[in-house]
Amino acid sequence: MYKYIYIIPETIGRSVLRMCASIGRIAIFFYDFFMCLITPPIYIKSLLSQLVRIGYNSLPVIGLTAFFTGGVLALQIYVGGSRFNAENIVASIVALGITRELGPVIAGLMLAGRVSASISAEIATMRVTEQIDALITLSTNPMKYLIVPRVLAAVISLPILVIIADIIGIMGGFVVGTKSLGFIEQSYIKNTLDIIEFRDVISGLIKAAVFGFIVAFMGCYHGYNSTGGAQGVGRSTTLAVVSASILILASNYILTSLVFTN
Amino acid sequence: MDHVLKINELSKSFGDKSVLNGLSIDIERNTSQVIIGGSGTGKSVLLKCILGLIEADSGEIYFNQQILDKKNRAEIDFYSKIGMLFQGAALFDSLNVQENITFGIKKLESNLGNLSDIAVDKLKKVGLDSSVLHLYPSELSGGMQKRVALARAIARNPELLFFDEPTTGLDPIMADVINNLINEVIDEVGATAITITHDMDSAKKIADKISMLYKGAVIWSGDAKDIHSSNNPYVDQFIEGSSEGPIKINLND
Ligand SMILES: Nc1ncnc2c1ncn2[C@@H]1O[C@H](COP(=O)(O)OP(=O)(O)O)[C@@H](O)[C@H]1O
Ligand SMILES: [Mg+2]
Repeated sequence: MYKYIYIIPETIGRSVLRMCASIGRIAIFFYDFFMCLITPPIYIKSLLSQLVRIGYNSLPVIGLTAFFTGGVLALQIYVGGSRFNAENIVASIVALGITRELGPVIAGLMLAGRVSASISAEIATMRVTEQIDALITLSTNPMKYLIVPRVLAAVISLPILVIIADIIGIMGGFVVGTKSLGFIEQSYIKNTLDIIEFRDVISGLIKAAVFGFIVAFMGCYHGYNSTGGAQGVGRSTTLAVVSASILILASNYILTSLVFTN
Repeated sequence: MDHVLKINELSKSFGDKSVLNGLSIDIERNTSQVIIGGSGTGKSVLLKCILGLIEADSGEIYFNQQILDKKNRAEIDFYSKIGMLFQGAALFDSLNVQENITFGIKKLESNLGNLSDIAVDKLKKVGLDSSVLHLYPSELSGGMQKRVALARAIARNPELLFFDEPTTGLDPIMADVINNLINEVIDEVGATAITITHDMDSAKKIADKISMLYKGAVIWSGDAKDIHSSNNPYVDQFIEGSSEGPIKINLND
């Protein structure tokens, strides 16, 4: 009976220790990554192909989700706004909501699903099939050859994707607003342009760069440290998507509250 | 005696499981050294320690009389002097055969000639022709992948070659083809070869010298021709492939 008293503190203690250990490992991985980032060579060819894979190939997914998000936002604001006769704020709220929050967050989360998963599965497979060891025996630093191009490509791609998502998202709101809610096209456009300020867009783009880093870095970290064969590949993929998504939402809150509220 | 590689009292544990226990072995230049031993006796771990893919807990490794450690491997350009054939070939799936074979060459900035000529030349050495140059690893059979991996291992004319279970997972005929290729390649490149295997037929075919590993240490070393007269009960049991003898299989291992 007596020994059961210890179970709760023991469980808590163990998870805290495990969390500290993973934070430590991620920090070491980041240090290695950073040292590789600032020393030559940079593999330009890999960087370009990752830009295509992470950025260009994500366009359809990001475009579609942004369009529907903008559309549904317009509908909801209209319904909510009409309760206190404020239907006219639809254009403004769609514009601000998309550029400041939903554009970067939706694009980040879609990339966490699409890109974190595929990076992590790819690198984990390379780990279990000894391709990463083979890189080392061929005088190539795997951190430089695999990790740096992927992380750089995501940090560059996501802000560009978010600009496109902003435009398409606002367009989604515009289509719903003018075709189904009866707004006049010219005034909808004018309301949108009047409300958006440069810093709204910029804050969204800075968030996007941070989310891009999180997405690729988590995919690389979990893939690179994968163990345990095919099952391990699956496990690291899940971990990559889950940790990237949580970190995106958490860092979004932190960035918004610390930097972008005033 | 001229030793390419000297390994002195190497030990490595994973957690409380000790894999290498003060292993020592010297590898003579221009010989084909085979290291045999049962599964899980630490053969791959030994190779990975030499290659710097795993860090040993204690002990030293000397390559051409220079100590090999984390820092030093880059300084003496260790990796451009060796070639490694991995057990599962470990070809890069995103690159075609030519890019795989010449992967390490770009970094040498060598003027050995045009990359595709080098690739064709190395392919010829492993019995393949230029028709596979632009195929991807997933389009090749297991035996062909092994051959391409062998071509990649010899691409930089290394002085030291490592083979991890080169015949495992191949049918007996393809295994023999690979054994012959290894012999030809060793002769032609003039390299020292270290092969780890549990395939006795392969060992007899390619070895000048054989060492046997048991519980993380070398328990017998000698010329390949003496393997049948070793008078060592462990070696005898291993080459007979018998479950009766001093080697006890721990099924929980
Ligand atoms: N990275 C590792 N982490 C933990 N244990 C390992 C690791 N690599 C190898 N081992 C253990 O070391 C032992 C020897 O493995 P290995 O050298 O691969 O055997 P083999 O002689 O068949 O090549 C095995 O029991 C294996 O479980
Ligand atoms: Mg092995």
